[in-house]
Amino acid sequence: MDWEPRDFPENNVTDVHPLKELVTLVAGIAAATIILTLAIAFTLDIGMRALPAAWEARLFDGLWSDLDEVDDERHAAAVRLVDELALDWPENPYTFQVFILDSPDPNAFALPGGAIGVTRGLLDSVESENELAFVLAHEIGHFSGRHHLRGISRTLAVTVVLGAVTGGASGTMLTQWVSEVTQLGFAREHEEEADRFGLDLVEKRFGHVNGATGFFQKLPDANAGTVGRLGAWFATHPVSPKRISDLRRLARDRGWRASGELTPLDPSFYAE
Amino acid sequence: MILSNTEDVPGSTIREFYGVVTGSSVRAKHIGRDFMAGLKNLVGGELKGYTELLQEARQEAIDRMTQQAQAAGANAVVNVRFSTSSVAQGAAEIFAYGTAVRVE
Amino acid sequence: MDPLLQIALQVGPFLFLLLFGFIIGTLVERSHYSDIRKREAKTRTLPVISFRRAPPSWQVSSGTLVSGSTVVSIDYFKRFLAGLRALVGGRIASYESLLDRARREAVLRMKEQAIASGYDAVVNLRLETSRLASSNRKGQGTAGVEILAFGTAVKRGA
Repeated sequence: MDWEPRDFPENNVTDVHPLKELVTLVAGIAAATIILTLAIAFTLDIGMRALPAAWEARLFDGLWSDLDEVDDERHAAAVRLVDELALDWPENPYTFQVFILDSPDPNAFALPGGAIGVTRGLLDSVESENELAFVLAHEIGHFSGRHHLRGISRTLAVTVVLGAVTGGASGTMLTQWVSEVTQLGFAREHEEEADRFGLDLVEKRFGHVNGATGFFQKLPDANAGTVGRLGAWFATHPVSPKRISDLRRLARDRGWRASGELTPLDPSFYAE
Repeated sequence: MILSNTEDVPGSTIREFYGVVTGSSVRAKHIGRDFMAGLKNLVGGELKGYTELLQEARQEAIDRMTQQAQAAGANAVVNVRFSTSSVAQGAAEIFAYGTAVRVE
Repeated sequence: MDPLLQIALQVGPFLFLLLFGFIIGTLVERSHYSDIRKREAKTRTLPVISFRRAPPSWQVSSGTLVSGSTVVSIDYFKRFLAGLRALVGGRIASYESLLDRARREAVLRMKEQAIASGYDAVVNLRLETSRLASSNRKGQGTAGVEILAFGTAVKRGA
């Protein structure tokens, strides 16, 4: 029995370049994540669209009572205007509610369950009923396309899939960021769709579309500084000038009158 | 290649020692298997996915070990030992080692 | 804030650590391997076997326990790679080189100790591996892996 020193091959390390492995893994996992997210979002999207408005109302009933709602003498006028506008949407399954929020920034929201939130700043800034009508009709447009629910379904899909992939804990920041980015394109598309729906309602009510774009003209161009191509892409709402020109083109194509007499606001708007 | 976990090979005599040969394989389970194992944990029993995973890894460790022995001109690895250890969350190393020898 | 800047601020540190880990980790590994090979060549003639007893022909006159150990950790880049691999399963090559290096280092330290004490061979070599859990994240993370090599160093008689 003799000792005979021998050299052994170094075969305990798999010969694979780490960068190559990184690229393969990242590409594979990203592709799987995207496909899974899309599949879930698509399924949820179909489900959300099929959800009857009555169920939706029951599901979200009372959820908005926590909102920072204020008593405002203009509330009745806003409710009346929403109801009148909705008359021109025959298939409307919703019973709309209007909330007035105590915020100086002009803004409006469509919330699940048929709630429309309007800020005080918006009511302060509108100058004619036509202008207010378009903003409200735009929100009604979101309900007609079920955008308020479909936005949720996308966020949900992204959260669920990324949560599973990253193990939950580390995923929160990433999830938020990814869901924001994926929302952008869809959100803009939804805004444009709601704009078209809103302008149609306004035309039906007033017989012309004059004053509809007044609100956008007053919006401070929030993205003015950084706009460029990327800025425009990152803005959820189409930037104002483009939005106005899109609406003007739509009115021209449909043969809607661009001029007409503006209807003054309800007297409650002028009582100080 | 003869493998044994005794200090000799039954029926033959060791002529030369070449040193200690090693084989290792680090494997990760994937989330699909993990999920199924989680379900199986409720009722107990064999976790087939994991059994398979560890068998594959052990086979690779043995293969690497015998490759080393072969390259050194040995015809047997005696006194083979295995060890399994968790080296990171969700990753296990299967390690095999033994003494490469030439028997007659 | 500029959205581009915002993204850069969120992803930047991560990418930096990844690149830093990759470059430094690769350099450290390369120099460690070249050191290991040099020392292995130097200690090549010291017999090491995993038998419980030395062959009778060695005529052992005395013996003592020798050991070598090392605790190693993986770089940020490879840890990220291993994390991705854990999602899809399969062979984690980035850990293989870590353990290979550590094991050879531990054996070398053991052999060097035996040589320094004037012994001629090591019998009954044993190798142990254990994970050191990190103190944060409820012990979920891995602080490092320890490899221990031990055996009995023997002196051969005339």
